[in-house]
Amino acid sequence: MPCLDVADTGARMGLKGPRASDWLAAQGVAPPARANTWSRSPAGRADVLIARLGASEFFLEAPDDAALAALAAGLAAEPAGVYPVLREDRAFRLSGPGVHDVLAQVCNVDFAGLDLEARPVIMTLMIGVAVIAVPDGRPEARQYRFWCDPTFGPSLGETLGAIIVECGGTITGESR
Amino acid sequence: MYRLEPQAREWIDRSTVLRFSFEGAPCEGYAGDTLSSALAASHPYLARSFKYHRPRGVLSCANQDSNALFQVDGIPNVRGDVTLLRQGMHVTAVNTFGGLARDRARVLDRFARFLPVGFYYKAFHSKRWFPRWERMFRAITGLGAVTLSAERRTTPKRYGFCDVLVIGGGPSGLAAALAAAEAGARVTVVDEAHRLGGTSALNDAERQALDSLVRDVQASARIAVLSATAAVGCYADRWVALAEPRRLTKMRARAVVFATGVIEQPAVFRNNDLPGVLLASGAWRLAERYGIAPGRHLVMVAANMEAYAVCRDLAARGVNIAAIVDLRAASEAGPGAAGAGAAGAGADEAGCASLGIPILKGFAPYEAFAGADGRVCALAVAPIDDVGRGGAAAESLRRIECDAVLMSVGFAAAGQLLLQAGAGSEFSAGLQQFVPLDLPAGLLAAGRVNGVYEFGARLADGRRAGAQAAAHAGFGAGSAASIERSTRRPSHPFPVFAHPAGKNFVDFDEDLQVKDLENAAQEGFDSSELLKRYSTVGMGPSQGKHSHMNALRILARVRRVPVEELGLTTFRPMYHPVPLKLLAGRGFNVERRTPLDARHGALGAVWMSAGNWRRAEYYAVEGETREQSIEAEVEAVRTKVGLIDVSTLGKIELYGPQAGAFLDRVYAGSYASLQVGMTRYGLMLDESGVIIDDGVIARLGAERFYFTTTTGGSATVFRELSRLNALWGLDCALVNVTGHRAAFNFAGPASREILQSLADVDLGEASFPYLAAREGSIAGVRTRVLRVGFVGELGYEIHVPASAAARVWQALSEAGRPHALRPFGVEAQRVLRLEKGHLIVGQDTDGLTDPFEAGARWAVSMKKPFFVGQRSLKILESRGPRQKLTGIEVLDATRAPKECHLVIDRGAIAGRVTSVARSRTLGKTIGLAMLAPPLAEPGREIRIRAEGGEMLAARVVAVPFYDPGNLRQRAGRAA
Repeated sequence: MPCLDVADTGARMGLKGPRASDWLAAQGVAPPARANTWSRSPAGRADVLIARLGASEFFLEAPDDAALAALAAGLAAEPAGVYPVLREDRAFRLSGPGVHDVLAQVCNVDFAGLDLEARPVIMTLMIGVAVIAVPDGRPEARQYRFWCDPTFGPSLGETLGAIIVECGGTITGESR
Repeated sequence: MYRLEPQAREWIDRSTVLRFSFEGAPCEGYAGDTLSSALAASHPYLARSFKYHRPRGVLSCANQDSNALFQVDGIPNVRGDVTLLRQGMHVTAVNTFGGLARDRARVLDRFARFLPVGFYYKAFHSKRWFPRWERMFRAITGLGAVTLSAERRTTPKRYGFCDVLVIGGGPSGLAAALAAAEAGARVTVVDEAHRLGGTSALNDAERQALDSLVRDVQASARIAVLSATAAVGCYADRWVALAEPRRLTKMRARAVVFATGVIEQPAVFRNNDLPGVLLASGAWRLAERYGIAPGRHLVMVAANMEAYAVCRDLAARGVNIAAIVDLRAASEAGPGAAGAGAAGAGADEAGCASLGIPILKGFAPYEAFAGADGRVCALAVAPIDDVGRGGAAAESLRRIECDAVLMSVGFAAAGQLLLQAGAGSEFSAGLQQFVPLDLPAGLLAAGRVNGVYEFGARLADGRRAGAQAAAHAGFGAGSAASIERSTRRPSHPFPVFAHPAGKNFVDFDEDLQVKDLENAAQEGFDSSELLKRYSTVGMGPSQGKHSHMNALRILARVRRVPVEELGLTTFRPMYHPVPLKLLAGRGFNVERRTPLDARHGALGAVWMSAGNWRRAEYYAVEGETREQSIEAEVEAVRTKVGLIDVSTLGKIELYGPQAGAFLDRVYAGSYASLQVGMTRYGLMLDESGVIIDDGVIARLGAERFYFTTTTGGSATVFRELSRLNALWGLDCALVNVTGHRAAFNFAGPASREILQSLADVDLGEASFPYLAAREGSIAGVRTRVLRVGFVGELGYEIHVPASAAARVWQALSEAGRPHALRPFGVEAQRVLRLEKGHLIVGQDTDGLTDPFEAGARWAVSMKKPFFVGQRSLKILESRGPRQKLTGIEVLDATRAPKECHLVIDRGAIAGRVTSVARSRTLGKTIGLAMLAPPLAEPGREIRIRAEGGEMLAARVVAVPFYDPGNLRQRAGRAA
């Protein structure tokens, strides 16, 4: 059965600008080379997810603030051509059998047809709410991590939750 | 009709009896029966027609006609041909007054001659009488009834994806699906029936081939089957709407194969609508699938080989065929006929003859007769030439006793979806049907819709189309095979027979007779589009599936032109009527909530919608009315301190060396020269100089700006700024932090003192003057503070990350408690800003308001080299304003107009009220109004037309109403 995890864990930050990619690399965090893809890179003692949103914007998520502290401090120094993007996103995770049936009710992206090896980042609308979605997991057991503007979070969570329950699934975690 | 002995391939399970009621009487059927089949087996007729309330029975059994619409368990217009019978159903006919058997409206059939085509245009045009006619029409027209107590069922929509979508599960569709799957494509097959196979395998060899195809399709891992599903609309980019019983699937396919087949067409003769007169394919479906014989002595009206094949099939099931009335003088197997079709036709005809079935060649139906039960009891036929001349002499008539009349006189291509998808069509005189032409890339047609009729050829055509579809989707090499259309003629060119007494129906939905269409054409409605709209042919629930082709033939004959010269009407979605619940789906109502939503609820917030945001209108306090609470909130801000959540404001950050230059272009004021640490009001215009948004722009650094927009404009403004940024290519970057930052307005005489206790920023007047902006910490949270004056008091707009909002709000609330801090909502804010005369874009301005009209000339810097709207403003400035936004006060303290009430001057509209509110602070009702310039002079009296036409007197006054010197917001001093 599909599962919606609403545990809004993790720390996030964003940056953009003509020199953002180079700056990240200079900080020892290797950004993905292609637009709309993701990678993982060590930062401190943690793995950081780096999603490249288009050509020159990046979204980062780490297990906690500590992993991003050094990057945040570097941004605060206002390096040229690199601009901070405040990320207070609400996060969710969808998984389990039937996850694509749920996604098919809320989004017109063919998630089942995605090539996981290409590490795609999908920027789309889910029930009219702009979301960033990253698929991961094994091909036969896909999971989808996605983020949205926090002011849409309650509505999106409630709607997804209702659909999950209708599909016989479960909701786990508690929101922050 | 009656049940046959169990048939080898029937779809019903006779071991499971289902009980239901029809028109209040108990009935029975079997599991696997549809509503139509269960009722057909036991009832003489199932429905009443729309206009004349004539009794009607099964016609197609294929979900193509409106005879089989029922009210089921409170749900209207359930399509009986494709709805499976369930235990306990309560079924009634639609469109009756007093029940199916005793329908009081059946008397209308006797007055048919007073209800000719277009009669309503000529009879109900009296303005005086029309309200009465309208009530009558509303009472007697329409099908089905909405029952609010019916069970509410969830009908979610979903998206679907496939490489190749095959519409139609008959032989060519199945062959196409297999070919596409073999090439590697993901295939989805849809068919309206509950099982695959279609309705045209009429001999054992064809049945075996079909069974094999069905097994292969069901076993294929690459093929998904959606049965009981109708493709109801084709849209751009191969986007197809699929209506399932309880949901709509929006299917996106890379290629689509239309194997939609054909729709059997009725013959047109007097009383061709009697129960017991049905299409041959309908009779075959009843017998093959549900074990129901159409009658015990039937007559077949024939014009093709299919008629003979159905006769042989029914005869083999034990049904007596009283006669075959063949419109053709010579059969297809006659001299000159060629091909496999002709050979097959010959075999079927010979087979019928060998069974002793009388075959009348060159004869046509003239009139059907009804028995006491309303069903057909006899058919009069005559030589076709006699009938075709408009009347048959009595001596040439032959009466054949029967209890069923089957019609197999031709087909129309079911090409509506193809045409919706952008395909063209051309009329094939040989086939007497329209065939597809010029298909857009990725769209294929196969089978009978493509003019391919022979069974083997249909399979080949399906394989061709499937391979080509797969190739278009990127799989396989396609197919070089070409289309082989049939050389025989399966459709009679004019199966329409006149009768002096009429009632020879062309359109069963609308009860339209031949003379109706002839009269419409003679009245000048003589194109296919005009004929449709004047006569309503094709506008009923079956949308012309059984009437369009014959209507075109009749019109062509009246105009003496070939059918192809008339062309088809435009086919638009939906192919079938679709229940609104499927189109509505789940109904997502997305709402934005600020980070403090729960806290506001705990404080007693009374909610309102502001765009797609949920906001606190005011905070309810026990013992206070709504008005009292709002007035108390206003008073708190004016005398002590208030706190409002303004997180809904748009918030945008702008970085980069050319950030200032960018703002100078997009706003009417000057910002490149704005000092770091200061703010300035911003007015955004469009190219025509119209105000589209406003906000406050703060400069936080040399290359760092932070600005707000209106709540409703944030998304639009950010999109437009992003577009302009891409267009101009300036060295700057935009970041939309609207939802990622919360904001509060903390205002009132005590605000500075309270805030200072929490902030590490010096809020003194010298350090933090009016319109300044600072970054610092409040309650330990990194914050941006703007000193602005929207509500006209000493106040601060505090912007924090969303995750810290609750902490800062709590700190402000606790620090403010000794000062009787009160949270205030949107309504109090409206009153406060109105007392200062501050406009709200979109309320006090409209789609034409420029800065001169709004009194905002001060916010425009015309000396800049360029800004959006500048050129238009130069023109507007030279013309002078059409209207002016001014302050007003209502002279009668006990009366108040509403927003949008008009200002009347000498009998003409001279303006409107844009904002109005009762101000307890000022002791009067004040407002803003757009007025014609001559009226907009302070001291001038105006008259406002209020509710019920009452005229209220008001006076134009200067703004601001409250603290005209702006001392309170600038220095926190009493006015």
